Amino acid sequence: MKFESVDEILDFAIGKEEEAAQFYIDLARKMAPPNMKEVFEEFAQEEKKHKEKLLLVKGGKKVLLTREKVMDLKIGDTLLAVDTTIDVSDITYQEALIIAMKAEKAAFKLYHDLAKTTKDSELKNLFLSLAQEEAKHKLRFEIEYDDNILIEG
Amino acid sequence: MPVTEKKKLDLDRKEIPKQLPEVRKHNFNEVALGYSAETAVAEAKRCIKCPKPKCVGNCPVEINIPGFIDAIAEKDFDKGIKILKQKNCLPAICGRVCPQEEQCEETCILQRKNGQIAIGRLERFLADWEATQGELKVPELPKSTGKKVAVIGGGPAGLTVAGDLIQLGHQVTIFEALHEMGGVLIYGIPEFRLPKAIVKREVDYLNKLGVNLVTNYVVGKTKTIDSLLEEYNAIFVGSGAGLPWFMNIPGENLNGVYSANEYLTRLNLMKGFLFPEYHTPVKNHKKVAVVGGGNVAMDCARSALRLGAESRIVYRRSREEMPARLEEIENAEEEGVIFDLLTLPLRYIGDENGWVKEMEIQKMELGEPDDSGRRRPVPIAGSEKIVPVDAVICAIGNSPNPLIAKTTPGLTIGKRGNIEADEETGKTSRDRIWAGGDVVTGAATVILAMGAGRKAARSIHEYLCSL
Repeated sequence: MKFESVDEILDFAIGKEEEAAQFYIDLARKMAPPNMKEVFEEFAQEEKKHKEKLLLVKGGKKVLLTREKVMDLKIGDTLLAVDTTIDVSDITYQEALIIAMKAEKAAFKLYHDLAKTTKDSELKNLFLSLAQEEAKHKLRFEIEYDDNILIEG
Repeated sequence: MPVTEKKKLDLDRKEIPKQLPEVRKHNFNEVALGYSAETAVAEAKRCIKCPKPKCVGNCPVEINIPGFIDAIAEKDFDKGIKILKQKNCLPAICGRVCPQEEQCEETCILQRKNGQIAIGRLERFLADWEATQGELKVPELPKSTGKKVAVIGGGPAGLTVAGDLIQLGHQVTIFEALHEMGGVLIYGIPEFRLPKAIVKREVDYLNKLGVNLVTNYVVGKTKTIDSLLEEYNAIFVGSGAGLPWFMNIPGENLNGVYSANEYLTRLNLMKGFLFPEYHTPVKNHKKVAVVGGGNVAMDCARSALRLGAESRIVYRRSREEMPARLEEIENAEEEGVIFDLLTLPLRYIGDENGWVKEMEIQKMELGEPDDSGRRRPVPIAGSEKIVPVDAVICAIGNSPNPLIAKTTPGLTIGKRGNIEADEETGKTSRDRIWAGGDVVTGAATVILAMGAGRKAARSIHEYLCSL
């Protein structure tokens, strides 16, 4: 992947958010229980909000901060991935959160790696900002997992 | 009161005698031995009879606490148990396993002086005293209304609903999936914390009141809720949270890795520790790691210890954040359970026969407070190590079994598989179906399940009277 301008990168990132939303919409369709259908629809909505935010950035109405410190609980890092290519109709909320944590982590890593591919400081900073955005998304799911799954009661 | 007499009064909260740690860690007998009549009276006399007692409001089933304490102080135990049973049909159980320190006792005004009144211990005393008085007395019941209620699940919520509704003249049948009534009281809580004879006594009492008890009946398999609705006017679902969670880390399918549910059921319901007298054995492990920090984790760790293992709790947060009752943490510590705090299991490693032989763990530290002010554990890089184990018990939580949700169209189910029900009435999204206890809240406490059962019983009664 090679990017020449800020707009190109933002278009790429917007496309990634669209893909993510579609991924969750597809999963929602596969769910048998209505409660899990709703969970994935909510996830899709969140991705759409991320996309809207990036559109505002592209339109010059919002700025992404590069050096904002985002806590990394690393909860998803050690968990087994959920295979979404097989029958997932009776997936649990725990598994849904694992899918989301892993996806956000992968997106973070993608932008982090892309930042290393350019020497242009403006582009580098944008990639790092996008990585931080994904880290925030991941933290939201990690906190949900920490509060609702790792109850340890 | 003359000053000289005042000096003689012992105002300190009375401790409950216990089996010594060195003795009790080798047996499954009850740890706490209960108050004598003399100690109970002395403890009851400490109550200063607040004009507006806060203890009652903090009890999920609103027991007249000052009333029964006063009766004990007057040595009228018969009156005391009657007051207690007006609101609580399972006092011997609640006196033992309720988290009183977070409920009735938490608001006791004496907390800051000589220790709060030991409400739970007094409750237990009355129930145990009653058991020594021969056959349990059955109150006179009203004329039958002819209305029929099916209760699904014979745990604390279901038993409470049944006890309340039978005393209002309705016909009640409890359908229990296992071969014994009691739910988590029978399969979950170990003998050393809650002797099963006590649960059986409380269940027998309901039976004497006329509650029809049906065991080995899996609603959703044997019959669906919709079929039961053809025979019954109302249904209460109190089927608990019997679906164990695992962490989703490598090695959880190895032999020797149990859910807390399985491990405790083998011991408590199937009496594995009494093999060969009972037919389902439990393996005698040597090094047991219990993952979790709640009461269930403590129960597992202390059970493993009693079976002769070196037993350790592996918990990813600090001691202060453990959800277990402090009393149970202290009991476990006294008995010799090892606590690996701020420790996270990463994976389990098996031997050539597929049995777990080691686990990889990582140390954690509490991170900076987040927006909610909570310090969450984060792993310390490079702190990973491998430790030997021959059994791991996963006690990280449970959610409801999905069977009823899957077989009951129109029932609204929450994210975590819980049935959604009105907090005040227990009404679900379906007409004539109520729900309460762990199936609604996820795994919680016995008394909260009973409180939900009481509210649902009230609502069901109103509905039945309107027919």
